[in-house]
Amino acid sequence: MAGKIVSIHSFRGGTGKSNTTANLASQVAMTGKRVGVVDTDIQSPGIHVLFGLDEHKMGKTLNDYLHGKASIREVGYSVGDNKVEGEGRSQLAGKNLFLFPSSIKGKEISQILHEGVDFNKLNEGLQTAITEFNLDYLFIDTHPGLNEETLLSIATSDILIIILRPDNQDLQGTAVTVDVARSLDVPNLFLMVNKALPKYDFAEIKKDIEEQFQAIVTSVLPLSFDMAENASRDLFSLRYPDHEWSKALKNIVPHILNAK
Amino acid sequence: MTGDILNKIRETEFFKELSDDASAAVAAKASIRKFAVGDALMRKGDPADSFFVILDGHLKIVTTDAKGDEIIINKVGPGESIGELALVDERPRSAGVVALDAVEALELTKEAFFDLLNHRLDVSLGILRGFSNRLRFSTTYIEKVIDWSQKTAEGDYSFMEQTQPINNRTGNDDDKAAQLLSAFYSMVRKVKAREETLKQELERLTFEIDQERRKKEFDEITGSEFYAKLKEQAKSLRQKRADQ
Repeated sequence: MAGKIVSIHSFRGGTGKSNTTANLASQVAMTGKRVGVVDTDIQSPGIHVLFGLDEHKMGKTLNDYLHGKASIREVGYSVGDNKVEGEGRSQLAGKNLFLFPSSIKGKEISQILHEGVDFNKLNEGLQTAITEFNLDYLFIDTHPGLNEETLLSIATSDILIIILRPDNQDLQGTAVTVDVARSLDVPNLFLMVNKALPKYDFAEIKKDIEEQFQAIVTSVLPLSFDMAENASRDLFSLRYPDHEWSKALKNIVPHILNAK
Repeated sequence: MTGDILNKIRETEFFKELSDDASAAVAAKASIRKFAVGDALMRKGDPADSFFVILDGHLKIVTTDAKGDEIIINKVGPGESIGELALVDERPRSAGVVALDAVEALELTKEAFFDLLNHRLDVSLGILRGFSNRLRFSTTYIEKVIDWSQKTAEGDYSFMEQTQPINNRTGNDDDKAAQLLSAFYSMVRKVKAREETLKQELERLTFEIDQERRKKEFDEITGSEFYAKLKEQAKSLRQKRADQ
């Protein structure tokens, strides 16, 4: 069976999307699955930081691939083969987790924004990544909003996870995203609520949003100061597996593994 | 010495276990002192050279904070004794004692006290007995408090149903131990109540979606040529992957 594309999306920025993607991909890799993570947030890449890949260690990037200067194989960075610092991250040693980073060089970012992304090429890259790295799951960290790149990643995904905060503005945008995803026949659609204030009734939030959208809310994750304190220095759910946030995050894993 | 004074002596924790004869021996060695409002019986840091049994009136036990302001640690009244522990452990006064109204107290100097210990085995034994009672009593309560603390930490409040709160507020130390238990009990009751209200008071968020706007935005996105092409591509891509 071919690998599945899991797109992680949010309508607005600041929902904790990259953090969720990195933690989720790591948790799936911890189960023994072969996992890839593509940073298609070309305008503001950032997920590499969570995996401990710093600027000067970064080799070929997705930008190089899109410009025909590198193959997808060259872009893939094996997190499990590289010794990374951090109590959480180091647990990924020996796991099959591959990162496909976007360039963080200003010049390369503006170049690609100016020229636009060649969608066919990007699509081909995603498919090649799955076959060449023999991936079970390829996670796509998208740019917030509903621009063309994002629509593409939604269109190609087998599993779409939309992250939202429990507020009306996020809900309004999520409603449109859900409609678009249905129109594009995305086979598996999940919602994940992040940054919920502990004073609210999480069970009610889950119920209300599920009713609004007729879609599964996998979990409601709390707004966490501990999480903010960690400040992307490590993979939080691996480092603090018993934390409320981590436990709620891990609830999503079976939804991904069982998706058809 | 009148019988009233002997009774006052035996009311104190320190001399509680003394026989009539031994109490009389203590009374004979002691002298009655009178203090007016604001008089200091002792100051913090003074050497411990005597102790007092309060016969009448009230006093405050005070210390000073970092800024030099007075803090009242406790208030004491008739039947209570002050300063006896310092006599035994020979440390300087840990706090000052000031009369709140006209006070009459029995003072036993250090020499008189040790003289009694030297010559009256019944007085020594009585004092020792008092000490050991206090210890035994305190230990029982401490064990109880430890047990309750552990249970509370685990969120197990079942002990509250099996325990009746004790609440008497006389001045002696046995009662202070009981007061600790009682204060602990009421603390746990309040913690439990707060926990329960917190569970009930979880706020309910209400969501509203502007359906008209939702439809308009959806139409804008899906109405483009790009979208139509994308939809086609997505379909064939999925088909292709499914066939692999």
